[in-house]
Amino acid sequence: MIASFNQPQRQSKVGILVMFFYSLQKLVRVFFPLLVLFYVKSENLNLLLVIPGLFVGIALLAVFAYFQYLNFTFYIDEENEEFIISEGIFNKTKTAIQLEKIQQVNINQSLIQKIIGVYALEVDTAGSAKKEGSIKAISHNLALALKSRLLDNEKKVLQDYSLNLDVPPIASQEPKPFIKISLLTLLKIGITSNYLRSIGLLFLFYSYVQENLRNFSETDYLDGSQLDDFFATQSILRAVLIVGIILIAIVLVVNIVRTVVKFFDFTISKQKGSLLLSYGLFNTKGTIIKPEKVQITTITRNFFQRKMDILEIKIQQASSGELETKKDVTEIPGCNENEKNDILKLIFNTIPEKGVMMKPNWRRLGFSFFLGIIIPLSFYFGFGTYLEPLAFDYAFVAVGYTIFVAIILIFSYRNNRLFVSDNYINIQSGAWDVDNRIIEIGKIQAVTTSQLFWHKGPDIGSLTIHTAGGDVHFSLGNFTTVKNYVNLWLYTVETKNINWM
Amino acid sequence: MEQFSNNTIDIKQLPRFETVAFQKLEPNYWKVVLINLFITVAILSIGLGIVYYLVDEFRKEAIYLVITLGVIIAITFVFSRISFVKKGFAFREHDVLFKNGIIATNTIIIPYNRVQHVALHEGWLSRYFGLAKVEIFTAGGSSSDIKIPGIEKEQAEKIKQLLMGKIQQQL
Repeated sequence: MIASFNQPQRQSKVGILVMFFYSLQKLVRVFFPLLVLFYVKSENLNLLLVIPGLFVGIALLAVFAYFQYLNFTFYIDEENEEFIISEGIFNKTKTAIQLEKIQQVNINQSLIQKIIGVYALEVDTAGSAKKEGSIKAISHNLALALKSRLLDNEKKVLQDYSLNLDVPPIASQEPKPFIKISLLTLLKIGITSNYLRSIGLLFLFYSYVQENLRNFSETDYLDGSQLDDFFATQSILRAVLIVGIILIAIVLVVNIVRTVVKFFDFTISKQKGSLLLSYGLFNTKGTIIKPEKVQITTITRNFFQRKMDILEIKIQQASSGELETKKDVTEIPGCNENEKNDILKLIFNTIPEKGVMMKPNWRRLGFSFFLGIIIPLSFYFGFGTYLEPLAFDYAFVAVGYTIFVAIILIFSYRNNRLFVSDNYINIQSGAWDVDNRIIEIGKIQAVTTSQLFWHKGPDIGSLTIHTAGGDVHFSLGNFTTVKNYVNLWLYTVETKNINWM
Repeated sequence: MEQFSNNTIDIKQLPRFETVAFQKLEPNYWKVVLINLFITVAILSIGLGIVYYLVDEFRKEAIYLVITLGVIIAITFVFSRISFVKKGFAFREHDVLFKNGIIATNTIIIPYNRVQHVALHEGWLSRYFGLAKVEIFTAGGSSSDIKIPGIEKEQAEKIKQLLMGKIQQQL
C-alpha cells in the first residue's frame, strides 16, 4: 500500500479519544489543587449537583476533542515541497515546514497512546527547542510511511551536500591527540576559576554569621556597655576571619577536585575535520565538535589566568533535535595561547582577527550604576527612614556593597567591547572573568537593533545577534556604526550561502 | 569555474535597512486590540462589581480602586496604541524586517535564507475581521522569531507563499 499524503487528511478516528484524554489530563492537572480544596472544604457535597456537573464537563470535553479532531489536518504539498499542519477550533494555526528543513521525525507512544493503539509523530527542524509539528494519533503503518516520505527529501539534499563537501579531500587518518591538558593546567584552572562564586559564598557566610552575632549580642548584652559589645564583636570578627580563610581553602580544594575529576586526561584529537574530546577521571566522556556546527566560541580568562597563560574555551554548537532544552555547550577547561590558536584554526580555518573596536557609550555605565547601586540604595534608605531605623546599623554592609558593585560595574564597562572584522564578530564582556565571544558572520540567523527614544539624540543603541547557539548582546554602541555593520552582515549572509550547521 | 571577483565593498553603497519604508498593520487590527482590551476590562469590572456587592468594607475604599483601575486602563490603552502605531513590517528582496516596541524601537531582520518554517495564526477575533498573524521561525530560538499580527488573510497567504518561494530559491 502506498500511502499518499497529497490531500489534507485527519488523524486516526480513535485520535478523538487521545485528544479527549490529553485535554482531560491537562484540565485535571490545572484544577487538581482546586478540586482537592473543594472536596476537603465542603464535607456534605451535594451529589445531585456534582455528578451532573461532571457529566456536562466531560461531555463538553468530548465535543471539544471531536472538533479538535475535525480541525486537525495534515498533508504534503508536493508542488511547494512542504509539510502543512492545520489545527485549532477558535484560534487556527497553519504551520508550513519545508521538507528539506526537516531534520528529524520521531515516532513515539505515550501511555494513553499505547492503550489506544496509536502513535505520535513529531517533526523537528534545526535550532528551536520545541517540536515544530506534532501529530497526536496516527497508525503505525501510516506513521512509518509519512516518516519515510518526509525524510526522503532530506536524504537527497544530504547526499548532494556530502558530495560537495568531499571536493577538497581530507586525509583520513587515525585520530591522534594533538592537545593534551596536563594535570598542572587543571590545577591552575581549579585555583583560578569560579573565584567569584567563592567570594559570593564567603560573603553569604559572613553576613550569616554577622546576623547570628547580632541576635546573640542583642539578647545577651542587652544592658551591657558599648565596650563589652565592641570586644565581643572583635573576637568574633577574628573567628569569622579564620573561618573565612578555611572556607576559601575548602572552596579551592573543592574546585580543584571538581575540575580534576571532571576533566582529567583531557585529550583533543582531530578526525576528518572534527574535534574529538575525551576526558574524565572515573568515567571517560567523549564529545565531538563539528566545525560547521559551531555557533559561538567563548574564550574566558581572568587576571590570574592571564598571568599564568591559561584560558578556558566554551563552544556552543547548533542544538540538534535530541538536546532540546539544554544548549549544546562544550567546555575545554584549560589551554595556553598556542593551543587556543590551534583549536581556533581547526574551527575557523584561521585565527579570527579582532578587527575594528567599538566601545559602549558612558551611559551604559550610568545605567548599570542606576540599576545596581542607586535603586538598591534608595530602597535601603527608604526602608531605614520609614520602616526600620535599625537598618542603619548595617550601614557598613551598604558601603561594602556599593564599593564592591561599583568596582564590578566599572570593570565590566571597561571590558565591554565589540570587535568587528571581515568575517568575525567578537564581543568582549565581563568584570573578572573576561569573555570573548566569537561569532562567524555567516552563522548569524537574525539581527535585532534596539534604540530607546531618548537615545536618538546621542545616536546610541543596542545590538543583538541571534545564532542557532544562542544570542549575543552589545549595549549602547554608536548606532550609526551599528546599523552600518548590520547592513554589511546582512549583505554577507544574503549573498553567500554559508552552511551554518 | 564561475567568474570570480573580489572587489572591495563600499559600505555606503549597501542597501540600508534603516531607510526602508515600513508597512503599517491593518487599521482593523486596532479594533481587535481594543476589543481584547475591552473584554479584559469587562471581566475585571464584573469581578470588582461582585466584590463591591458582597463585601461591605470594600465600599468605602472602592473609589480609590476604581481610580487605580482607571489609570491602569488608560496607561494600557495609550501603550497599546503606541505599540500598534509603531509596529511595522517590510519584505525586501532578501530579508524580512519587523519593527516594534513602546519606549524602545526594536528592529529585527531575518534573511530569507535563514527562515526555518512559517505559520499562519488566526485568532478567533482576528478571523472575524479577516486578519491573520504571520509567524516566521528561524533556528535562533524564540527571541529571533518574527510574529507579524494584523495582516489581511489574503496578504498573509501571499506572504507565506513568498517566504516559501524565497526559501526554495536557496536550493
